[in-house]
Amino acid sequence: MKITEGDVEYVAKLANLEVHEDERAELAAQLSRIVEYVEQLSKLDVSAVEPTTQILETVKHAVRDDRVASRTGSSDAGKTVKLFKVPKVITER
Amino acid sequence: MNLKNITADKLVALYRNRDLSVTEVITSVFDEIDRTDNQVRAYLTLCRDRAFEDARRIDAKIAAGEELESLSGVPVAIKDNMALKDVPTTCASRILEGYTPPYTATAVERLRAAGAIVVGKTNMDEFAMGSSNENSAFFTTRNPHNLDCVPGGSSGGSAAAVAAGMALVSLGSDTGGSIRTPAAFCGVVGMKPTYGRVSRYGLVAFASSLDQIGPFAKSVRECAQVLEVICGFDHFDSTSADVSVEPLLRDLDQPIKDIRIGIPKEYFIPGMDPEVKSRLEKCIKTYEDMGCRLQEISLPHTEQAIATYYLIATAEASSNLARYDGVRYGARKGGDSGLNDMYRKTRMNGFGKEVKRRILLGTYALSAGYYDAYYLKALKVRTLILQDFRKAFDQVDVILTPTSPTVAFRIGEKTSDPLSMYLSDIFTITCNLAGLPGISVPCGRNSAGLPIGMQLLANHFQEALLLRAAFNFERAFLLQ
Repeated sequence: MKITEGDVEYVAKLANLEVHEDERAELAAQLSRIVEYVEQLSKLDVSAVEPTTQILETVKHAVRDDRVASRTGSSDAGKTVKLFKVPKVITER
Repeated sequence: MNLKNITADKLVALYRNRDLSVTEVITSVFDEIDRTDNQVRAYLTLCRDRAFEDARRIDAKIAAGEELESLSGVPVAIKDNMALKDVPTTCASRILEGYTPPYTATAVERLRAAGAIVVGKTNMDEFAMGSSNENSAFFTTRNPHNLDCVPGGSSGGSAAAVAAGMALVSLGSDTGGSIRTPAAFCGVVGMKPTYGRVSRYGLVAFASSLDQIGPFAKSVRECAQVLEVICGFDHFDSTSADVSVEPLLRDLDQPIKDIRIGIPKEYFIPGMDPEVKSRLEKCIKTYEDMGCRLQEISLPHTEQAIATYYLIATAEASSNLARYDGVRYGARKGGDSGLNDMYRKTRMNGFGKEVKRRILLGTYALSAGYYDAYYLKALKVRTLILQDFRKAFDQVDVILTPTSPTVAFRIGEKTSDPLSMYLSDIFTITCNLAGLPGISVPCGRNSAGLPIGMQLLANHFQEALLLRAAFNFERAFLLQ
């Protein structure tokens, strides 16, 4: 499938990316080549195959007991103000 | 003190006997970095002050007659996508400019608890996306064996630092070959453990179902030593495997006679460099001489691995990298016209070309109308690849392949064509898709003096066997 400049613009919007107009043609061409390459998967019949999202079925998602546990460093998180201070997101109309 | 001529064991023994002080060694490491790193450019950040502080602390311990830990005073380098408290973590990206983590990654914490001294954070492809190190937003690390060649990627800085004697051992991360490829290109040992074996807590996520931290070293034994320290269950990583760890060093030198080694026919492809191929044939012969049973096996879905990988990895990356929006981490741009404007401007200015390309591809593969055709399809093919390996490990204990179809290529050779760069990962990528442990061991050089790597793969959690097979090869190879 050919990726058009319009597709690039649309996907960029979904991904919260801005793509300069002069980059669009090159990106569309590169992504088209990659998508054409990955389309070889369509040759395989996988209708009866289950998808794999997590490789080790034997490993349960680790859930620990609900106890307060401390770790060196975690209490310092609050000192890194930049992690929490965000710009104003609500503006007056 | 030249780090190229000493092992971690011997170094710690010298400290113990008071033949050498840790401060002397750290001084000579930084002298070497000052001499060499303006050419190799393996490091992004040096931790000079804290390294000397650590050195003095360990020297005081030695003077007081206290017991030393297994890696006491061993100089290590850390890939710059792992958190070390109060030291910038950049992932070689402009978007993390100014970000300093308030905590340390579990793997790094464990190394430090074992006495290791972090000398610096190493260069990489931006967010670990690349096979050559050329996607670093700052500069390209060079191969210590030939400065015109790439060190491999994405953990190129960590591999080059060890190869150039600017660290004794180092940590990298491997999502599709990012430890094993640079190990092969730089002529060092590099290992990717089983998925879940080493905690990913504090490792900046690229593709969460594939990422794994692992060691680089000059020898298999040191690799085992580092892995033994960093592996094991961690409450802070919900995908960390709660599976007991076999001792990795104890049986390292036990013979491997009668183990079954599989040679996948799909890995000996026509486009392979003839010198790599003939080296690999010598490796096979070495194992035969040790009494191993070699047999051809088939991994039929190898051909589809790259397509599968680049759909899954980019889809996961597009989701993982959504967090870099100028709100919580590093750089922030724009914002005068509202929040969305800030998101877009920050991300446009902060991410490099390859990262944007992968975010776009991943977003495309996950978008409405294409999800089933691309992402879901790739997850199903991943099942087939996993089944290939299950069948193979019913017949053999270890799988032997080249690490890369070529030796280190020249800087700039593949940058204009992203797809050709992706194709260079053909031999390393299946291991991540199947979550297996894999190791790259140096097996000689080509006629131009560039290193060649042999890759061994084993079944899940078979690190001890894998290291034993690698150790026996290394020993036999050095005697040849």
